[in-house]
Amino acid sequence: MGLLDKFEAARRTRDTLSALPLNPTDVVIEQVLGATEAMIQGRRTIMAGTNNYLGLTFDAEAIAAGQAALASCGTGTTGSRMANGTYRDHLLLEAELAAFFDTSYAMVFSTGYAANLGALAALLAPGDAVLLDAEAHASLFDGCRLSGADIFRFKHNDADSLANRLRRLGARAASALIVAEGLYSIRGDCAPLAEFAQVKQEFGACLFVDEAHSLGLYGAHGRGLAEQEGVARQVDFIVGTFSKSLGSIGGFCVSQREELPLFRYASRPYIFTASPCPSVIATTRVALRQLSTRPELREQVWANAHRLYAALAALGLELGPHVSPVVGISLRERETAFACWQGLFNAGVYTNLILPPAAPDGGSLIRCSVTAAHSTAQVDAIIAAFTTVCEALRIGHHATQ
Amino acid sequence: MSIEETVEDRLIALLSKTTGSDVPLSPATHLVGDLALESIQVIEYLCEVEDHFDLAIDEATLADVQSIADLAAVVRKLRGS
Repeated sequence: MGLLDKFEAARRTRDTLSALPLNPTDVVIEQVLGATEAMIQGRRTIMAGTNNYLGLTFDAEAIAAGQAALASCGTGTTGSRMANGTYRDHLLLEAELAAFFDTSYAMVFSTGYAANLGALAALLAPGDAVLLDAEAHASLFDGCRLSGADIFRFKHNDADSLANRLRRLGARAASALIVAEGLYSIRGDCAPLAEFAQVKQEFGACLFVDEAHSLGLYGAHGRGLAEQEGVARQVDFIVGTFSKSLGSIGGFCVSQREELPLFRYASRPYIFTASPCPSVIATTRVALRQLSTRPELREQVWANAHRLYAALAALGLELGPHVSPVVGISLRERETAFACWQGLFNAGVYTNLILPPAAPDGGSLIRCSVTAAHSTAQVDAIIAAFTTVCEALRIGHHATQ
Repeated sequence: MSIEETVEDRLIALLSKTTGSDVPLSPATHLVGDLALESIQVIEYLCEVEDHFDLAIDEATLADVQSIADLAAVVRKLRGS
Protein backbone atom coordinates (compact mmCIF):
# COMPACT_ATOMS: atom_id res chain seq x y z
CA MET A 1 0.00 0.00 0.00
CA GLY A 2 1.37 3.39 -0.97
CA LEU A 3 1.93 6.21 1.46
CA LEU A 4 -1.07 8.18 0.26
CA ASP A 5 -3.43 5.26 -0.32
CA LYS A 6 -4.70 5.62 3.23
CA PHE A 7 -6.63 8.70 2.11
CA GLU A 8 -9.05 6.60 0.05
CA ALA A 9 -11.49 6.35 2.93
CA ALA A 10 -11.34 10.11 3.45
CA ARG A 11 -11.81 10.63 -0.27
CA ARG A 12 -14.97 8.48 -0.22
CA THR A 13 -16.33 10.46 2.72
CA ARG A 14 -15.55 13.75 1.01
CA ASP A 15 -17.13 12.55 -2.26
CA THR A 16 -20.29 11.42 -0.47
CA LEU A 17 -20.63 14.83 1.14
CA SER A 18 -19.77 16.63 -2.11
CA ALA A 19 -22.64 14.85 -3.85
CA LEU A 20 -25.08 16.63 -1.53
CA PRO A 21 -26.69 19.88 -2.67
CA LEU A 22 -24.48 21.59 -0.08
CA ASN A 23 -21.52 19.88 1.53
CA PRO A 24 -21.82 20.72 5.27
CA THR A 25 -18.05 20.76 5.60
CA ASP A 26 -17.79 23.35 2.84
CA VAL A 27 -20.10 25.93 4.37
CA VAL A 28 -18.52 29.35 4.17
CA ILE A 29 -19.62 32.00 6.63
CA GLU A 30 -19.35 35.00 4.35
CA GLN A 31 -20.12 37.64 6.90
CA VAL A 32 -20.73 37.46 10.62
CA LEU A 33 -23.68 39.66 11.54
CA GLY A 34 -23.46 39.19 15.30
CA ALA A 35 -23.46 36.45 17.90
CA THR A 36 -26.47 34.69 16.38
CA GLU A 37 -26.62 35.48 12.66
CA ALA A 38 -24.37 35.28 9.62
CA MET A 39 -24.54 35.57 5.86
CA ILE A 40 -24.17 32.17 4.18
CA GLN A 41 -24.67 31.75 0.44
CA GLY A 42 -25.86 35.32 0.38
CA ARG A 43 -28.66 34.66 2.87
CA ARG A 44 -29.18 35.83 6.40
CA THR A 45 -28.93 32.66 8.51
CA ILE A 46 -29.60 31.98 12.19
CA MET A 47 -26.55 30.33 13.71
CA ALA A 48 -27.88 27.43 15.78
CA GLY A 49 -24.73 25.37 15.71
CA THR A 50 -22.14 27.36 17.63
CA ASN A 51 -20.63 26.98 21.10
CA ASN A 52 -21.13 30.66 21.85
CA TYR A 53 -23.32 29.79 24.83
CA LEU A 54 -23.24 33.14 26.59
CA GLY A 55 -23.30 35.06 23.31
CA LEU A 56 -20.19 37.03 24.21
CA THR A 57 -18.37 37.03 20.85
CA PHE A 58 -19.53 40.56 20.13
CA ASP A 59 -19.35 41.89 23.67
CA ALA A 60 -18.37 45.54 23.23
CA GLU A 61 -16.11 45.63 26.27
CA ALA A 62 -14.26 42.49 25.21
CA ILE A 63 -13.77 43.83 21.69
CA ALA A 64 -12.42 47.11 23.05
CA ALA A 65 -10.02 45.28 25.36
CA GLY A 66 -8.85 43.10 22.46
CA GLN A 67 -8.29 46.13 20.26
CA ALA A 68 -6.36 47.90 23.01
CA ALA A 69 -4.16 44.84 23.54
CA LEU A 70 -3.48 44.60 19.81
CA ALA A 71 -2.38 48.21 19.80
CA SER A 72 -0.26 48.02 22.92
CA CYS A 73 1.22 44.48 22.75
CA GLY A 74 1.11 43.62 19.07
CA THR A 75 -0.45 40.80 17.12
CA GLY A 76 1.27 37.83 18.72
CA THR A 77 3.81 36.62 21.23
CA THR A 78 5.79 34.73 18.54
CA GLY A 79 6.95 32.07 20.96
CA SER A 80 6.55 29.80 23.94
CA ARG A 81 6.35 31.14 27.47
CA MET A 82 9.11 28.78 28.60
CA ALA A 83 11.54 29.93 25.93
CA ASN A 84 10.38 33.38 24.90
CA GLY A 85 8.83 34.85 28.02
CA THR A 86 5.52 35.26 29.79
CA TYR A 87 3.43 38.37 29.26
CA ARG A 88 2.08 40.03 32.37
CA ASP A 89 -1.47 39.44 31.10
CA HIS A 90 -0.90 35.68 30.89
CA LEU A 91 -0.28 35.75 34.62
CA LEU A 92 -3.24 38.02 35.29
CA LEU A 93 -5.57 35.67 33.44
CA GLU A 94 -4.18 32.69 35.36
CA ALA A 95 -4.71 34.51 38.65
CA GLU A 96 -8.24 35.43 37.64
CA LEU A 97 -9.02 31.84 36.61
CA ALA A 98 -7.73 30.53 39.93
CA ALA A 99 -9.86 33.09 41.77
CA PHE A 100 -12.92 32.29 39.63
CA PHE A 101 -12.63 28.56 40.31
CA ASP A 102 -11.57 29.13 43.92
CA THR A 103 -8.47 27.03 43.36
CA SER A 104 -4.84 27.67 44.20
CA TYR A 105 -3.38 27.17 40.75
CA ALA A 106 -4.25 27.82 37.12
CA MET A 107 -2.41 27.30 33.89
CA VAL A 108 -3.31 28.67 30.47
CA PHE A 109 -2.80 26.79 27.20
CA SER A 110 -3.01 28.02 23.63
CA THR A 111 -6.14 26.03 22.75
CA GLY A 112 -8.62 23.78 24.51
CA TYR A 113 -7.21 20.84 22.59
CA ALA A 114 -3.72 21.74 23.81
CA ALA A 115 -5.01 22.00 27.39
CA ASN A 116 -6.32 18.44 27.31
CA LEU A 117 -3.33 17.14 25.45
CA GLY A 118 -0.88 19.04 27.62
CA ALA A 119 -2.42 18.39 31.01
CA LEU A 120 -2.95 14.67 30.42
CA ALA A 121 0.41 14.08 28.80
CA ALA A 122 2.08 15.80 31.77
CA LEU A 123 0.01 14.04 34.39
CA LEU A 124 0.23 10.50 33.01
CA ALA A 125 3.20 8.36 32.10
CA PRO A 126 3.79 4.85 30.78
CA GLY A 127 2.72 2.36 33.43
CA ASP A 128 -0.08 4.58 34.76
CA ALA A 129 -3.70 3.55 34.33
CA VAL A 130 -6.29 5.99 33.01
CA LEU A 131 -10.03 5.33 32.98
CA LEU A 132 -11.60 7.21 30.10
CA ASP A 133 -15.31 7.68 29.39
CA ALA A 134 -16.30 5.89 26.16
CA GLU A 135 -17.60 9.12 24.64
CA ALA A 136 -14.82 11.42 25.84
CA HIS A 137 -13.64 14.03 23.37
CA ALA A 138 -10.86 13.14 20.95
CA SER A 139 -8.50 15.59 22.67
CA LEU A 140 -8.84 13.66 25.93
CA PHE A 141 -8.13 10.37 24.22
CA ASP A 142 -5.20 11.88 22.33
CA GLY A 143 -3.75 13.25 25.57
CA CYS A 144 -4.00 9.85 27.22
CA ARG A 145 -2.43 8.19 24.22
CA LEU A 146 0.38 10.74 24.02
CA SER A 147 1.23 10.00 27.65
CA GLY A 148 1.81 6.30 27.00
CA ALA A 149 -0.43 5.34 29.93
CA ASP A 150 -2.61 2.22 29.81
CA ILE A 151 -6.06 3.37 28.67
CA PHE A 152 -9.19 1.61 29.91
CA ARG A 153 -12.55 2.78 28.55
CA PHE A 154 -15.70 2.65 30.69
CA LYS A 155 -19.28 2.88 29.50
CA HIS A 156 -20.44 6.41 28.88
CA ASN A 157 -21.66 8.14 32.03
CA ASP A 158 -21.81 4.81 33.87
CA ALA A 159 -20.39 4.93 37.40
CA ASP A 160 -20.84 1.17 37.87
CA SER A 161 -18.84 0.49 34.72
CA LEU A 162 -16.13 2.81 36.05
CA ALA A 163 -16.10 1.14 39.47
CA ASN A 164 -15.93 -2.34 37.94
CA ARG A 165 -12.87 -1.40 35.92
CA LEU A 166 -11.13 0.16 38.91
CA ARG A 167 -11.85 -2.95 40.93
CA ARG A 168 -10.28 -5.11 38.22
CA LEU A 169 -7.16 -2.96 38.31
CA GLY A 170 -6.49 -4.03 41.89
CA ALA A 171 -3.69 -2.07 43.55
CA ARG A 172 -3.24 0.07 40.44
CA ALA A 173 -6.62 1.70 41.05
CA ALA A 174 -5.25 3.87 43.88
CA SER A 175 -2.94 5.67 41.46
CA ALA A 176 -5.32 5.67 38.49
CA LEU A 177 -6.78 8.75 36.82
CA ILE A 178 -10.47 9.00 35.91
CA VAL A 179 -11.20 11.23 32.92
CA ALA A 180 -14.67 12.51 32.01
CA GLU A 181 -16.39 15.59 30.69
CA GLY A 182 -19.07 17.75 32.29
CA LEU A 183 -21.57 18.52 29.53
CA TYR A 184 -21.06 16.37 26.44
CA SER A 185 -21.02 18.46 23.31
CA ILE A 186 -22.95 16.31 20.86
CA ARG A 187 -26.00 14.96 22.66
CA GLY A 188 -26.01 17.55 25.40
CA ASP A 189 -25.97 14.99 28.20
CA CYS A 190 -24.25 15.50 31.55
CA ALA A 191 -21.83 13.25 33.41
CA PRO A 192 -22.90 11.88 36.82
CA LEU A 193 -19.99 13.69 38.46
CA ALA A 194 -21.22 13.19 42.02
CA GLU A 195 -21.24 9.42 41.41
CA PHE A 196 -17.83 9.54 39.76
CA ALA A 197 -16.48 11.52 42.71
CA GLN A 198 -17.82 8.87 45.07
CA VAL A 199 -16.14 6.10 43.06
CA LYS A 200 -12.93 8.10 43.00
CA GLN A 201 -13.01 8.40 46.80
CA GLU A 202 -13.74 4.71 47.20
CA PHE A 203 -10.67 3.67 45.20
CA GLY A 204 -8.36 6.55 46.07
CA ALA A 205 -7.98 7.53 42.42
CA CYS A 206 -7.72 11.04 40.92
CA LEU A 207 -10.48 12.72 38.93
CA PHE A 208 -9.94 14.91 35.86
CA VAL A 209 -12.96 16.70 34.35
CA ASP A 210 -13.21 18.63 31.11
CA GLU A 211 -15.72 21.45 31.59
CA ALA A 212 -15.22 22.81 28.06
CA HIS A 213 -18.94 22.93 27.32
CA SER A 214 -20.20 23.34 30.87
CA LEU A 215 -18.23 26.43 31.88
CA GLY A 216 -20.59 29.36 32.22
CA LEU A 217 -23.68 27.16 32.13
CA TYR A 218 -23.71 25.23 35.41
CA GLY A 219 -23.17 26.04 39.06
CA ALA A 220 -23.98 29.04 41.21
CA HIS A 221 -20.90 30.86 39.92
CA GLY A 222 -20.95 29.33 36.44
CA ARG A 223 -17.85 27.25 37.12
CA GLY A 224 -19.33 24.16 35.55
CA LEU A 225 -20.99 20.88 36.32
CA ALA A 226 -18.64 19.93 39.16
CA GLU A 227 -19.78 23.05 41.01
CA GLN A 228 -23.44 22.31 40.30
CA GLU A 229 -23.05 18.74 41.54
CA GLY A 230 -21.29 19.98 44.67
CA VAL A 231 -18.12 18.02 43.98
CA ALA A 232 -15.71 20.71 42.74
CA ARG A 233 -13.35 20.00 45.63
CA GLN A 234 -13.25 16.30 44.78
CA VAL A 235 -12.19 16.99 41.21
CA ASP A 236 -8.40 17.03 41.21
CA PHE A 237 -7.99 18.74 37.84
CA ILE A 238 -10.50 20.78 35.88
CA VAL A 239 -9.73 21.69 32.28
CA GLY A 240 -11.68 23.86 29.90
CA THR A 241 -11.58 26.14 26.96
CA PHE A 242 -11.98 29.82 26.18
CA SER A 243 -13.52 29.05 22.79
CA LYS A 244 -17.04 28.25 23.97
CA SER A 245 -18.72 30.43 26.61
CA LEU A 246 -15.82 32.88 26.68
CA GLY A 247 -15.94 33.48 22.93
CA SER A 248 -12.21 33.50 22.17
CA ILE A 249 -9.64 30.72 21.91
CA GLY A 250 -7.36 28.99 24.39
CA GLY A 251 -7.59 26.50 27.22
CA PHE A 252 -6.84 26.11 30.90
CA CYS A 253 -6.28 23.72 33.74
CA VAL A 254 -7.06 24.60 37.37
CA SER A 255 -6.29 22.59 40.46
CA GLN A 256 -5.67 22.64 44.17
CA ARG A 257 -2.69 20.35 43.60
CA GLU A 258 0.61 22.11 44.08
CA GLU A 259 2.04 20.01 41.26
CA LEU A 260 0.01 21.88 38.63
CA PRO A 261 2.63 24.66 38.19
CA LEU A 262 5.18 21.90 37.57
CA PHE A 263 3.23 20.89 34.47
CA ARG A 264 4.97 23.83 32.79
CA TYR A 265 8.20 21.87 32.91
CA ALA A 266 6.69 18.58 31.83
CA SER A 267 3.98 19.36 29.29
CA ARG A 268 5.29 19.30 25.73
CA PRO A 269 2.06 20.76 24.23
CA TYR A 270 2.62 23.70 26.62
CA ILE A 271 6.36 24.07 26.19
CA PHE A 272 6.56 23.73 22.43
CA THR A 273 3.69 25.99 21.37
CA ALA A 274 3.46 29.75 20.99
CA SER A 275 1.61 31.26 23.93
CA PRO A 276 -1.84 32.86 23.51
CA CYS A 277 -1.67 36.25 21.79
CA PRO A 278 -2.35 39.38 23.85
CA SER A 279 -5.67 40.27 22.22
CA VAL A 280 -7.03 36.79 22.98
CA ILE A 281 -5.94 37.03 26.60
CA ALA A 282 -7.54 40.47 26.85
CA THR A 283 -10.92 39.41 25.45
CA THR A 284 -10.91 36.25 27.56
CA ARG A 285 -10.31 38.24 30.74
CA VAL A 286 -13.26 40.49 29.98
CA ALA A 287 -15.49 37.56 29.05
CA LEU A 288 -14.59 35.76 32.28
CA ARG A 289 -15.56 38.88 34.18
CA GLN A 290 -18.85 39.06 32.27
CA LEU A 291 -19.52 35.42 33.06
CA SER A 292 -18.91 36.12 36.74
CA THR A 293 -20.88 39.32 37.06
CA ARG A 294 -23.81 38.80 34.69
CA PRO A 295 -25.81 35.76 35.86
CA GLU A 296 -28.61 36.96 33.60
CA LEU A 297 -26.62 35.57 30.66
CA ARG A 298 -26.87 32.13 32.22
CA GLU A 299 -30.57 32.60 32.91
CA GLN A 300 -31.23 33.62 29.32
CA VAL A 301 -29.36 30.73 27.71
CA TRP A 302 -31.23 28.28 29.95
CA ALA A 303 -34.57 29.87 29.10
CA ASN A 304 -33.74 29.42 25.42
CA ALA A 305 -32.53 25.87 26.02
CA HIS A 306 -35.74 24.84 27.76
CA ARG A 307 -37.86 26.44 25.05
CA LEU A 308 -36.01 24.64 22.25
CA TYR A 309 -35.77 21.26 23.99
CA ALA A 310 -39.46 21.22 24.89
CA ALA A 311 -40.51 22.11 21.36
CA LEU A 312 -38.28 19.51 19.70
CA ALA A 313 -39.41 16.86 22.17
CA ALA A 314 -43.00 17.76 21.33
CA LEU A 315 -42.20 17.11 17.68
CA GLY A 316 -41.37 13.53 18.68
CA LEU A 317 -37.69 13.79 17.88
CA GLU A 318 -35.20 11.53 19.66
CA LEU A 319 -33.21 13.87 21.91
CA GLY A 320 -30.50 13.48 24.52
CA PRO A 321 -31.63 12.68 28.07
CA HIS A 322 -30.92 16.11 29.58
CA VAL A 323 -32.13 19.60 28.78
CA SER A 324 -29.14 21.75 27.90
CA PRO A 325 -28.17 24.49 25.44
CA VAL A 326 -26.92 21.64 23.23
CA VAL A 327 -29.70 19.56 21.73
CA GLY A 328 -28.62 16.44 19.86
CA ILE A 329 -31.28 14.99 17.57
CA SER A 330 -30.57 11.34 16.77
CA LEU A 331 -31.45 10.20 13.27
CA ARG A 332 -30.77 6.57 12.53
CA GLU A 333 -30.37 6.93 8.78
CA ARG A 334 -27.52 8.98 7.43
CA GLU A 335 -29.60 10.08 4.44
CA THR A 336 -32.31 11.39 6.75
CA ALA A 337 -29.69 13.35 8.66
CA PHE A 338 -28.38 14.85 5.42
CA ALA A 339 -31.88 15.83 4.34
CA CYS A 340 -32.74 17.24 7.76
CA TRP A 341 -29.60 19.35 7.91
CA GLN A 342 -30.20 20.62 4.36
CA GLY A 343 -33.85 21.34 5.07
CA LEU A 344 -32.97 23.38 8.14
CA PHE A 345 -30.32 25.22 6.18
CA ASN A 346 -32.81 26.00 3.40
CA ALA A 347 -35.13 27.36 6.08
CA GLY A 348 -32.39 29.75 7.20
CA VAL A 349 -31.06 27.81 10.20
CA TYR A 350 -27.49 26.59 10.43
CA THR A 351 -26.98 23.50 12.60
CA ASN A 352 -24.25 20.86 12.83
CA LEU A 353 -24.40 17.58 10.94
CA ILE A 354 -22.66 14.95 13.04
CA LEU A 355 -21.72 11.71 11.35
CA PRO A 356 -19.75 8.71 12.60
CA PRO A 357 -17.17 8.57 14.07
CA ALA A 358 -18.09 11.86 15.78
CA ALA A 359 -21.62 10.64 16.51
CA PRO A 360 -21.68 8.89 19.89
CA ASP A 361 -23.63 5.77 19.00
CA GLY A 362 -22.59 5.08 15.45
CA GLY A 363 -25.72 6.77 14.11
CA SER A 364 -26.07 10.29 12.75
CA LEU A 365 -27.17 13.41 14.56
CA ILE A 366 -28.18 16.98 14.05
CA ARG A 367 -26.60 19.10 16.75
CA CYS A 368 -28.48 22.28 17.52
CA SER A 369 -27.39 24.81 20.10
CA VAL A 370 -28.74 28.06 21.47
CA THR A 371 -27.06 30.96 23.20
CA ALA A 372 -27.94 33.74 25.58
CA ALA A 373 -27.90 36.09 22.61
CA HIS A 374 -30.67 34.33 20.68
CA SER A 375 -33.94 36.22 20.93
CA THR A 376 -37.15 34.36 21.64
CA ALA A 377 -38.17 35.09 18.05
CA GLN A 378 -34.99 33.44 16.79
CA VAL A 379 -35.54 30.36 18.95
CA ASP A 380 -39.09 30.17 17.62
CA ALA A 381 -37.74 30.47 14.06
CA ILE A 382 -35.44 27.52 14.76
CA ILE A 383 -38.41 25.55 16.10
CA ALA A 384 -40.50 26.50 13.05
CA ALA A 385 -37.73 25.27 10.74
CA PHE A 386 -37.62 21.92 12.56
CA THR A 387 -41.42 21.67 12.36
CA THR A 388 -41.33 22.19 8.60
CA VAL A 389 -38.51 19.69 8.12
CA CYS A 390 -40.13 17.03 10.32
CA GLU A 391 -43.30 17.29 8.26
CA ALA A 392 -41.48 17.20 4.93
CA LEU A 393 -39.26 14.25 5.87
CA ARG A 394 -41.91 12.48 7.94
CA ILE A 395 -39.74 12.20 11.01
CA GLY A 396 -40.62 12.51 14.68
CA HIS A 397 -44.38 12.26 15.23
CA HIS A 398 -44.88 12.72 11.48
CA ALA A 399 -43.23 9.33 10.89
CA THR A 400 -46.32 7.53 12.14
CA GLN A 401 -48.97 9.76 10.64
CA MET B 1 -16.48 -28.12 23.92
CA SER B 2 -12.98 -26.65 24.40
CA ILE B 3 -12.30 -23.48 26.39
CA GLU B 4 -11.20 -21.75 23.19
CA GLU B 5 -14.49 -22.51 21.48
CA THR B 6 -16.42 -21.31 24.50
CA VAL B 7 -14.64 -17.96 24.55
CA GLU B 8 -15.16 -17.41 20.85
CA ASP B 9 -18.79 -18.50 20.96
CA ARG B 10 -19.37 -16.11 23.83
CA LEU B 11 -17.66 -13.27 21.98
CA ILE B 12 -19.89 -13.89 18.99
CA ALA B 13 -23.00 -13.95 21.16
CA LEU B 14 -22.00 -10.69 22.83
CA LEU B 15 -21.29 -9.11 19.46
CA SER B 16 -24.69 -10.09 18.11
CA LYS B 17 -26.32 -8.62 21.20
CA THR B 18 -24.33 -5.38 21.11
CA THR B 19 -24.60 -4.58 17.42
CA GLY B 20 -27.92 -6.19 16.57
CA SER B 21 -26.27 -7.07 13.28
CA ASP B 22 -27.70 -9.90 11.20
CA VAL B 23 -24.37 -10.48 9.43
CA PRO B 24 -23.26 -14.10 9.97
CA LEU B 25 -20.44 -14.09 12.52
CA SER B 26 -17.49 -16.43 12.86
CA PRO B 27 -14.11 -16.30 14.59
CA ALA B 28 -12.68 -14.94 11.34
CA THR B 29 -15.10 -12.01 11.26
CA HIS B 30 -13.28 -8.67 11.39
CA LEU B 31 -14.91 -6.14 13.71
CA VAL B 32 -14.19 -3.17 11.50
CA GLY B 33 -13.44 -4.70 8.09
CA ASP B 34 -16.49 -6.98 7.93
CA LEU B 35 -18.99 -5.30 10.22
CA ALA B 36 -17.97 -1.68 9.58
CA LEU B 37 -18.35 -0.99 13.30
CA GLU B 38 -17.67 2.58 14.31
CA SER B 39 -15.08 3.12 17.01
CA ILE B 40 -17.70 3.87 19.63
CA GLN B 41 -19.50 0.62 18.84
CA VAL B 42 -16.24 -1.27 19.23
CA ILE B 43 -15.72 0.39 22.63
CA GLU B 44 -19.24 -0.54 23.73
CA TYR B 45 -18.68 -4.10 22.62
CA LEU B 46 -15.36 -4.34 24.44
CA CYS B 47 -16.99 -2.99 27.61
CA GLU B 48 -19.50 -5.85 27.36
CA VAL B 49 -16.66 -8.34 26.83
CA GLU B 50 -14.74 -6.96 29.83
CA ASP B 51 -17.82 -7.14 32.02
CA HIS B 52 -18.69 -10.67 30.96
CA PHE B 53 -15.18 -12.05 31.52
CA ASP B 54 -14.42 -9.68 34.44
CA LEU B 55 -11.29 -8.38 32.73
CA ALA B 56 -9.64 -5.01 32.22
CA ILE B 57 -8.37 -4.70 28.66
CA ASP B 58 -6.28 -1.64 27.85
CA GLU B 59 -6.32 0.04 24.45
CA ALA B 60 -2.75 -0.93 23.57
CA THR B 61 -3.55 -4.61 24.03
CA LEU B 62 -6.21 -4.21 21.38
CA ALA B 63 -3.96 -2.57 18.82
CA ASP B 64 -3.49 -5.78 16.85
CA VAL B 65 -7.00 -7.13 17.35
CA GLN B 66 -8.94 -7.29 14.13
CA SER B 67 -10.98 -10.47 14.26
CA ILE B 68 -13.06 -12.20 16.88
CA ALA B 69 -10.35 -14.89 17.01
CA ASP B 70 -7.76 -12.18 17.81
CA LEU B 71 -9.96 -10.92 20.61
CA ALA B 72 -10.46 -14.45 21.90
CA ALA B 73 -6.70 -14.82 22.12
CA VAL B 74 -6.50 -11.63 24.22
CA VAL B 75 -9.27 -12.83 26.51
CA ARG B 76 -7.61 -16.21 26.96
CA LYS B 77 -4.27 -14.58 27.71
CA LEU B 78 -5.72 -12.21 30.32
CA ARG B 79 -7.66 -15.03 31.93
CA GLY B 80 -4.50 -17.07 32.07
CA SER B 81 -6.24 -19.93 30.33
